[in-house]
Amino acid sequence: MMPAVLLSYVGFTALCLAMEKHHGELLRRKPSPLHKRGLAVAGWLLLALSLALAVQQAGWAFGLVNWTAGLMGSAVLLVWLLPYQPRLALGIAGASLLIAPLTVFGVV
Amino acid sequence: MKEGLRQSMAWLHTWAGLVFGWLLFAIWLTGTLAYFQDEINHWAHPEVPVRALDARASLASAQTFMQAQAADSQRWFISLPDHRNPEMGVMYQVPGKTGRGSFSRNLVDPQSGAKQETRESRGGEFFYRFHFELQMGYPWGRWLASAAAFVMFFTLVSGIITHKKIFKEFFTFRPGKAQRSWLDGHNAIGVLILPFHLLISYSSLVIFMSMIMPASILTSYHGKVTDFYADVFPSAAVASAAATPAPMLPLTQLYDTAVQKLPGAGFSRVGVEHAGNSNATVEFTPDDSGSIAYRAADGLVLSAVTGEVLSRPQDTPVPIIIGAGFYGLHMAHFAGPVLRWLYFLGGIGGTVLIGTGLVMWLNKRQLKHAKAGVMPFELRLVEVLNLASMAGLLWAIPSFLLTNRLLPMAMEGRSDWEVRMFFIAWGLSLLHALCRRGKRAWVEQLLVAAGLMGALPFVSALTTDHGLWQSIGSGDWAIAGVDLTAFAGALFLGWTVRKLLKKKAAAPSRKAATRESVPVLESEASR
Repeated sequence: MMPAVLLSYVGFTALCLAMEKHHGELLRRKPSPLHKRGLAVAGWLLLALSLALAVQQAGWAFGLVNWTAGLMGSAVLLVWLLPYQPRLALGIAGASLLIAPLTVFGVV
Repeated sequence: MKEGLRQSMAWLHTWAGLVFGWLLFAIWLTGTLAYFQDEINHWAHPEVPVRALDARASLASAQTFMQAQAADSQRWFISLPDHRNPEMGVMYQVPGKTGRGSFSRNLVDPQSGAKQETRESRGGEFFYRFHFELQMGYPWGRWLASAAAFVMFFTLVSGIITHKKIFKEFFTFRPGKAQRSWLDGHNAIGVLILPFHLLISYSSLVIFMSMIMPASILTSYHGKVTDFYADVFPSAAVASAAATPAPMLPLTQLYDTAVQKLPGAGFSRVGVEHAGNSNATVEFTPDDSGSIAYRAADGLVLSAVTGEVLSRPQDTPVPIIIGAGFYGLHMAHFAGPVLRWLYFLGGIGGTVLIGTGLVMWLNKRQLKHAKAGVMPFELRLVEVLNLASMAGLLWAIPSFLLTNRLLPMAMEGRSDWEVRMFFIAWGLSLLHALCRRGKRAWVEQLLVAAGLMGALPFVSALTTDHGLWQSIGSGDWAIAGVDLTAFAGALFLGWTVRKLLKKKAAAPSRKAATRESVPVLESEASR
């Protein structure tokens, strides 16, 4: 369940940064259209990858349940952190991106 | 002017949400606690020791108990201890009685087969039952809860239609901006965990579908509902008692057969029918940890006299898997610790969704009357009901648990008094709400609730030898978890009270905030 949760958090962060308003608030700059498109595509791909990992790890039945739960949990965490601890929210996304491959291969 | 779809949905959302919100708040919060029903049961009976699980030995003890207590009983059910709850429950039909209320429920020591000596308490079972029966007689509570579930479901749908910017404001939460923040919070918690809200409210309708919509069954089976169930669950149809008495094999021997026939399965429940008869059967029900669908397959049925296999779990037809899948997703018996906590947090989310909605309804309308200084009767009514239904429940729940620790162990009607204290505390909160108003009333009520919750671990440590330190020390995380969660709840309420008081201190700057949010308020208040 772990890699799927981490990746869905990163995916949501990317989707959030793909929006001009949030991008400005979080990174204090205006994203280019290409930049926005890239972030959106990356976000959706990460969510899809997290689904694939969840299903691969636990089968369709439990995989889908775990994935949906992780999806909702990570979205709530992100949206709750954004106004209070925006840097921490981004920091967690960065750390998750680094740790996720390690959890996939069972290093952590 | 003709109203658009969105306006009419907003109207529906506002008023259905208000009228059923008070009830739904209680249903959601007690249902959330029911995800830890087994753990709360264990907490409520701290005398039951945690031991290594041994299903075979437990069954032998259960049979010893039955021989000593009710050798003539023909139907009995054993729920085996598991890693969540060390209790073994033995329920048997008292000889000569039939129908509801003919069963005797007992806790049995899985090692000795003696009746388990422990305090009489309904524990987590109370929250679970209250969640859909609302302490009303059968079937009225179930009907009311189903109606509430239906309202929840279409309030969610109308909320989605009303919400204009689901995707644009998907990540938006702006705290510290009065009404704007309440609406943001309400929307965020509604949208971000929407799949959970929809799942829970829809599946609760599926659970009670044969009660809510019996027409198709009644017409197809000419009013004989039992025939329908016999068709759907063929192996549940048990042969009638034969006239010839016959001795039953030891449960341990039958258990060995069951393990042999269904390798790898763990069993949660064992049911005996027609005990002492030549037609006696034993059904071994596999535990729910391996499958999301709730008991979609029947158990393994053996003849209790010969040990011969009478029926095996069958491949389940797709419609039953779908129905049982919704049932299972609602009850979450399959969930491990992480998923179970997520379910719990999701339940808190649903409770908060309802609570923020109720608070907003009042806040919007109160602002209109703020200048006049007089509150119309209907707003005062909503204020009192908001307080009593939300903060009052936060008095009732810890009071129920505190009563478990404080009443004398051997008191007559002990568990009834626990339930009574639940409602007495709730009633007291209503009285308080009638006497006090506004923010002061909220601060006082939440402080009392925080005090009751915060006291729980201390009272528990003083009155039992299963206080927080001992249970953490012995690794009994079910008991420690209840104590810690109560304490966390107290801290959260304390934080909320601090926020409420701070807002008062920062009153001068509030004017600016209100002015800023006026456009929002007007558009929302018109709903």
